[in-house]
Amino acid sequence: MTSLQPHVGRDLRQAFTEAQAQWRKLQDSEIPIFFVGSATCGRAAGAGEVLQRLRSYIEAKKLNAQVVEVGCLGPCSFEPLVIVHKSDAPRICYGNVGPDEIIHILENHVLGDDPCKQWALGKMTPGQLDGIDDFDAHPMMRRQVRNILRNCGLIDPENPYHYLARDGYRGFLQALEIGPDKTLEEVKAAGLRGRGGAGFPTWCKWQFCRNAPGRTKYLICNADEGDPGAFMNRSLIESDPHAVLEGMLIAAFTLGASQGYIYCRAEYPLAIHRLQVAISQMRELGLLGENIQGSGFSFELTIKKGAGAFVCGEETALIASIEGLRGMPQPRPPFPAVSGLWGKPTVIQNVETLGNLPSILRNGADWYTQYGSESSKGTKTFALAGKIERTGLVEVPLGIKLKDIVYDIGGGIPAGKALKAVQTGGPSGGCIPAEKMDLPVDYESLTEAGSIMGSGGMVVLDEDTCVVDIAKFFLSFTQEESCGKCAPCRVGTRAMLSILERITTGEGEIADLDNLEEIAQTVKNGSLCGLGQTASNPVLSTLRYFRTEYEAHIRERKCPAGVCPQLLHAPCSNECPAGVDVPLYISLIRENRLEEALASHLERNPFPCICARVCPHPCEGKCRRTQLDAPISIRALKRYMVDTAKRTKPKEMVHENPHCLDKKIAVIGAGPAGLSCAYFLRRLGYQVTVFEKQDQPGGMMAYAIPEYRLPRKILQQEIDWLLGTGIELKTNTEVGKDVTIDELKGQGYQAFFLGLGAWKGVSLGIPGENLKGVMQGLDFLVKRNKGLDVPIGKKVAVIGGGDVAIDSARTCFRLGADVTVVYRRTREEMPAIETEIREAQAEGIRFMFLALPERIEGDGKRVQRLTCRRMKLGEFSLDGRRRPESTEETFQLEVDTVIVAIGQRVAAETIAEQVGLTLKRSGRIEIDPFTHETDAAMFFSGGDAVTGPSIVLEAVGAGEGAAVAINEKLSQNLEPQDRPKPFWRRTIPNDTEFDPEAEPVEMPPLKQKTLPLEERRNFEEVELEVAKNMAYQESLRCLRCDYRVED
Amino acid sequence: MIRPAKENSSKITDILARYPANRGSLIPILQDIQEKFGYLSEEAIEELERLMGISANEIYGVATFYTQFRFSPPGQHTIRSCQGTACHVRGGHQLLQELQQHLGITAGQTTADRKFDLERVACLGCCALAPVVSVDGKVHAQITAKKIPSILSQYAGKEDDENT
Repeated sequence: MTSLQPHVGRDLRQAFTEAQAQWRKLQDSEIPIFFVGSATCGRAAGAGEVLQRLRSYIEAKKLNAQVVEVGCLGPCSFEPLVIVHKSDAPRICYGNVGPDEIIHILENHVLGDDPCKQWALGKMTPGQLDGIDDFDAHPMMRRQVRNILRNCGLIDPENPYHYLARDGYRGFLQALEIGPDKTLEEVKAAGLRGRGGAGFPTWCKWQFCRNAPGRTKYLICNADEGDPGAFMNRSLIESDPHAVLEGMLIAAFTLGASQGYIYCRAEYPLAIHRLQVAISQMRELGLLGENIQGSGFSFELTIKKGAGAFVCGEETALIASIEGLRGMPQPRPPFPAVSGLWGKPTVIQNVETLGNLPSILRNGADWYTQYGSESSKGTKTFALAGKIERTGLVEVPLGIKLKDIVYDIGGGIPAGKALKAVQTGGPSGGCIPAEKMDLPVDYESLTEAGSIMGSGGMVVLDEDTCVVDIAKFFLSFTQEESCGKCAPCRVGTRAMLSILERITTGEGEIADLDNLEEIAQTVKNGSLCGLGQTASNPVLSTLRYFRTEYEAHIRERKCPAGVCPQLLHAPCSNECPAGVDVPLYISLIRENRLEEALASHLERNPFPCICARVCPHPCEGKCRRTQLDAPISIRALKRYMVDTAKRTKPKEMVHENPHCLDKKIAVIGAGPAGLSCAYFLRRLGYQVTVFEKQDQPGGMMAYAIPEYRLPRKILQQEIDWLLGTGIELKTNTEVGKDVTIDELKGQGYQAFFLGLGAWKGVSLGIPGENLKGVMQGLDFLVKRNKGLDVPIGKKVAVIGGGDVAIDSARTCFRLGADVTVVYRRTREEMPAIETEIREAQAEGIRFMFLALPERIEGDGKRVQRLTCRRMKLGEFSLDGRRRPESTEETFQLEVDTVIVAIGQRVAAETIAEQVGLTLKRSGRIEIDPFTHETDAAMFFSGGDAVTGPSIVLEAVGAGEGAAVAINEKLSQNLEPQDRPKPFWRRTIPNDTEFDPEAEPVEMPPLKQKTLPLEERRNFEEVELEVAKNMAYQESLRCLRCDYRVED
Repeated sequence: MIRPAKENSSKITDILARYPANRGSLIPILQDIQEKFGYLSEEAIEELERLMGISANEIYGVATFYTQFRFSPPGQHTIRSCQGTACHVRGGHQLLQELQQHLGITAGQTTADRKFDLERVACLGCCALAPVVSVDGKVHAQITAKKIPSILSQYAGKEDDENT
């Protein structure tokens, strides 16, 4: 703390002069200065160690350098942050600066001439420095407008001269100048609304208080910041305490209040300390006490430490707490502005509301209202945290879109995961789903969306977050914090919590959801104070947007995000759409019990050989081993298993049931969904016929996936085995054409599964698509797989970024062509399987990114060239990918073949019409997500026809789900003991050896071998077998997340 | 540690002298007492009843309302496991379970050797560095289960300062 000289005393003018001199000295310093971010977050990240190391180095080397502790600059994920001043260079802000880094910077930048750009976030002052951009241009800063936080991280919060030099207290002096009435007018014109959450117009509150009778009035600053997930107020107070205190002076002066209180939570010791220091400095500057600056206005300030009660965020409860009582709210009216602390008119303002006042008074309402939206003026700070790349404290103009905060400023979701929702407003707010990310951030829009602005907590949730768990988390908080005074809140929060607890432990019933909603409404409408009135928001908003996820917990006893422990076997198997018990087969492989391993797999998925080759293994994406080093190579282990183990005889998979023998089911389409559905129904004892319009079964597995990924023989064997369970297959039979649904019904089929796939290629809609040499990717692959000769030229352009595009490209490469993949976005946005793209690149296939085909030209017959427009990445779209935007530039590719693979649609119109079922606008079949039933009774569907192009496993899971639902329908008239049960769903006991106490085996992950690149101009399988010892070692890496200690 | 009643009484009188003699001073006084003695002992509350003229019943009513106050002596080091939203979605709950397992106590308890207290806290306000745990007020950022033993061992060896 810099102590003020007594002679400065009340003469503020002199203090300003001194401040200017000090500040200028700091800016023009000849000696180097290190500004170290030392707010609580900086210290937590290690700023203390940085300071210590820096100071002892400077002392040991007797360097002439200065160290200044500043507050928080905001980009917390880059903490510790240090700004380095060097006399002949621009100031540089460095991030992730540990003790070693700071010494490196000192030696190489300050004492040398290497600006250490590896840690530089940006330049803070003008000037050229190679490779270092302006700090304001940093992706995290670019969209921000820093008005409230303007001093944070730049000034020493314990040096009042720094604040004064930055126009500190000029706003208050302006208020003194224009008087209270005009000050109120200015705040009214600025449209400032309370930043605590509710957004009540500040001037209005002040007016009530001013109009209330009595001379004694109080001002309270609410710095209790009880919202879990919020730290805006802490940061502002720690970094720029005088800004808040100046705001208090302005408010108190306008209200005519002579006593103010700051109610700050005890968990913020540094903030309290900074306030204490700042208050004593105000006193020395003559900004507190009697007759401030000769204006006749007197003001005193007292800090009250909040003792820990969330309900004290409620004005009347906070007042009770200051009065020394239990912090329980009172009914309103009377409002505190009329009768508050000790019965006197009292205004309570949030820290940030007060922090806005100095700049409004200093710069005027016109300046202020240039930021913000129609109804929500100015800027707002947000504590950006959770599953987001760049966390920290940010300030943005109100009205900015949520996606701009999440993707632009926050940098999106780490580890390639998908955004699920953004939680705003803490326990009083709600979850806004990813598809609503273009919502403007203003008071009305957020309320409309079922959340609230709140004080500024913004917690980003990714796909691995369970929203039911989040609702439970908030309810357990509000239930604990409910003061108990009014019954709706006391009883209602408890009732909601107990329902949520039931749901998350697998004890929920479907009626619970309606009950939840009803209780939530009751609590909302009937509670006495804001805590109860908003406690339902987390429940209501998640029910509104994520009802299916609640239903999955109840109907399938499954937590899709893999969070709720009682519903989770292991993260890998939870993520497998087919529900394969991954840890089981891995541990059986470890004990060399390969037949058992394979048998366990066949229980849930009849295509292990296929999946061992083509599955993009979503299971590995959830593997907990990733946190240690890298995920288990589950697919490679599967490959070893299927290559080695002997298969169970198909008939042994079936539980014949005399009650099912006469029940016939028609499966339309012999793709993975149809075949799986048939497989599971057959295993229950039903009579199943599969109708396929092509001459071979397998669907996309047979016709789309090229042989170098999936050898035909393997495919054939696997399907033959499946059919060997006793399934009838009729190929070359198109239902709807060769045989009608009515005819099938007449033949006694009682239930139907539509596994129609998504076979219709989407065309580009550009000139020249009908030229010879232009073809659809899927048609190309199908013809190839049928063994037909498809002539392609020497130079091929494949258009698209999905699996069909890559499959087409790699096939053309194998046919000897020179191949270029043309994609309108970049590598990062490509939806194709990652390893396939990598292999394609390794094989020498060219990728032309940011290119949009505009026309195809030829000599009247054959293609000669493709003209593309150069694209650039623009704004983020709702899926978190940047949208490609046109540039002026075009270019041409000389090609003789163009393969179009930009998507496939479902062609289900004919059958839909015959059956009378509804299609979505996209052409996809609409089903109940749990029963897989369409809106036509006894017609079920799954696979690509429902989801659009997806993976084999997704289809297997859908086929299985539909089989279970069909069974339920067909067996409902049977006696309970006669009804077939989906026996494969039981958990198979794992009796392998495992020592839960042992440390995880340290071992690098298995890398599957592939065919040498020079041997790939043919259709040999690219992925090679896995050796036994490699598989064994890999199996040891499994952490056995399924393991439970016996009770 | 129980100290002679007389000595305590004079310390409480000292604390009272810092504040105006009115009801509004109750909570700050309780906070100061807790800071001095580590908790609110029965005798301290009785003393306060006598000195402030507020019934012990009422003092307990206020004190038990707020999470800050404790009524049993604390251990040497206080571990606070943050259960805020950001920490929760980044595994704060599992971390608490790890801490419980490691220390062999549940949140709200003190280890048998009185070395550590374990508390759940609603939010430490370091959300950007989640998950966090604080020990004696020092915040440790981005904690993983792996880091717990080394953090605790920094404190396990330290002897208690007489007056904390």
